[in-house]
Amino acid sequence: MLIATIIFIPILLTILSSFIKKVKILGMVNAFGYLALLAAFVFFMKDFLAKGSSAVSLWGWIYVDSLSVFFLFTTAVVSFAASVYSIGYIRQEVENSEISVRKASGYFQLFNLFSFTMLMVPVLNNLALIWIAIEMTTLISAFLVGFHNVKESIEAAWKYIVICSVGIAFALLGIIFFYYTSSKDAGVKSLEWASMLSGSGAFDPKIVKLALIFILVGFGTKAGLAPMHNWLPDAHSQALSPVSGLLSGVLIKISLYAMLRFVMLANLSVGYAFSAKIFVFFGIVSIVIAGAFILVQKDLKRLLAYSTVENIGLVSLALGLGPCGGIFAGLLQAFNHAVTKALMFFCAGEAVRAYHGNSMSRMQGMIKVAPFAGTAMFLGLFALVGMPPFSIFVSKLMILISVFNGKHYLLAAIILAFIAMAFAGLLHHISKVVLGNKPNAAQVRKEPLSAKIALVFLGIFILWFGLNIPKPFFDLLVSCERLILGT
Amino acid sequence: MMINFLLSGFLVVTFLLVIAKRVTALIRAFMAQAIFLFLYTLYMGFSQLHMELFIVCGLILVLKVIAIPFMLKRIVRRINVEEDLGLLINPQVSMVIALVFTYLSYIFARHTMALTDFAHSAAFIVSLTTVCVGFFLMVSRMKALSQVIGLLVMENGIFLAAGAIAGGMPFFVEIALFFDVFVFIIILEVFVYKVNRLFTHIDTSKMKSLKG
Repeated sequence: MLIATIIFIPILLTILSSFIKKVKILGMVNAFGYLALLAAFVFFMKDFLAKGSSAVSLWGWIYVDSLSVFFLFTTAVVSFAASVYSIGYIRQEVENSEISVRKASGYFQLFNLFSFTMLMVPVLNNLALIWIAIEMTTLISAFLVGFHNVKESIEAAWKYIVICSVGIAFALLGIIFFYYTSSKDAGVKSLEWASMLSGSGAFDPKIVKLALIFILVGFGTKAGLAPMHNWLPDAHSQALSPVSGLLSGVLIKISLYAMLRFVMLANLSVGYAFSAKIFVFFGIVSIVIAGAFILVQKDLKRLLAYSTVENIGLVSLALGLGPCGGIFAGLLQAFNHAVTKALMFFCAGEAVRAYHGNSMSRMQGMIKVAPFAGTAMFLGLFALVGMPPFSIFVSKLMILISVFNGKHYLLAAIILAFIAMAFAGLLHHISKVVLGNKPNAAQVRKEPLSAKIALVFLGIFILWFGLNIPKPFFDLLVSCERLILGT
Repeated sequence: MMINFLLSGFLVVTFLLVIAKRVTALIRAFMAQAIFLFLYTLYMGFSQLHMELFIVCGLILVLKVIAIPFMLKRIVRRINVEEDLGLLINPQVSMVIALVFTYLSYIFARHTMALTDFAHSAAFIVSLTTVCVGFFLMVSRMKALSQVIGLLVMENGIFLAAGAIAGGMPFFVEIALFFDVFVFIIILEVFVYKVNRLFTHIDTSKMKSLKG
């Protein structure tokens, strides 16, 4: 029951945001709503883990197991941070008269609907409904990408909606293949998770392989895996900064969730090895392409977007090395990346505001212009590239260990080379933005309190998970790993 | 007999989509395809006598045969879109490519799916061809509107595939899919207007401000 009420908090907030007319109060109410969501969810998670992580199913519509809980937790954390960050961000947009008050309430409505669709994906029982929820995330967030209604943002939104919809159409074809083999070979005429899983041993391996290719390519497009990543740098760079954080932190992870669900379904008939090969392939391509593009970026938010491609590539690679202990590392990396990248996008939002534009050539000495966000960005940079004591260091190290465990030495060499390249690129670009003398045109600005709170909140997670992964979270990841490998 | 007629009609209309040079012709061909999809589902409804299939039929009629072509025509009227589609690949070559798609779908259906029933495998071949053609329309025509239609054509193909190989999706899934298509077309309409207002054209090949 609790889980159903948690999911509907954003709907309640959507309705509320059409009634409140003052932007500041609107933002506060919104943030408190997400705080309640996060608190209720942590409560639910405690209960869930205490009962031995057994799946919860409700009314035939809802099915929540460890994997769902993990992705819900990621969503809840990042969307809380984004809602807090939105308070000051949207208020300043209104004060600078970039948007009207009416449009600001439209923003909060879309924001809530977007979180609602993202929260729906991990809890739905029916695989086709998961597909529909993912398509809805695209359709709603397209408005948030094209929010400013200028040429660049509309172009990005158009590309985003068309490329992701095509990708997802292929995924639907894959789902139909799954349904075909499940009704013909296993006699299960249903797309419900538990019944399909129980029949999955009897699936026809040939059709499952085919279906899996369609699904991994289709949802992989939405997950931002190269070479289908073209929409991602455009959309992430044009969206409002709180939304960029959500897109990069959560949206692409949600597609990863859908991919994993189907991989689990295919395990009994074709084994994990088949999907692992596809994961490794996409992982390497993403890391290589992102590494190369990071070096030549001129736009701060595009730089961060390419770093997202690199990180999702690492996650995919780790999932591909599943049997050598990669799944744990991959999921941990997914969470760490979500938190760190949200932090970086929020800092980038402050930078864009201070220097009036995304171009890095005009940005210098951010630490003097916006001391708090500048410092956070500098620390976040080290977290992002994987320096200790921050959390991505731990998960990256675990991924490398699993590469070596699998004795893929050539692979390890390639990955290390391109990770180093991305490291150098990010360090070069962002240290230029943060350090140095401030240009005369830039004024020292007063940073909104809400931005500081959001950054500190995310920073706590980055440091905490770097020093010591909490026991309940560790257990959750272990049980996810068991679920995915089907052991 | 009847099923052969319907599937051939569907295939012919799919080829018409490929050779259309003008926006209105493309919309008309899309509408004709939706009519064949409607008739096919109606035929299935009569042969299986499922109440649910008739409801799906009604939805296809309302949404795909009437509402979507109407909306597409309204877009064309409102933004005075130039008739020319901007073909990157000319109709003759496009037609050959569509035939290659059909042949590949045939090979694919024979070797992987092991469909025994003739009607089912024919429907599956036609549906796969349609999916490929939809994708082809999206990448080889410059107008933003043709990308929308390409996606809708792909959707038609997937719908036919579901009917052909799996005997249709579970009922509420189909309803949800209709809802999805409905929302999708409305949102794309909004975006086509926005693109037109800002760029003063709907030529996607000229959208190049974002790079790298």
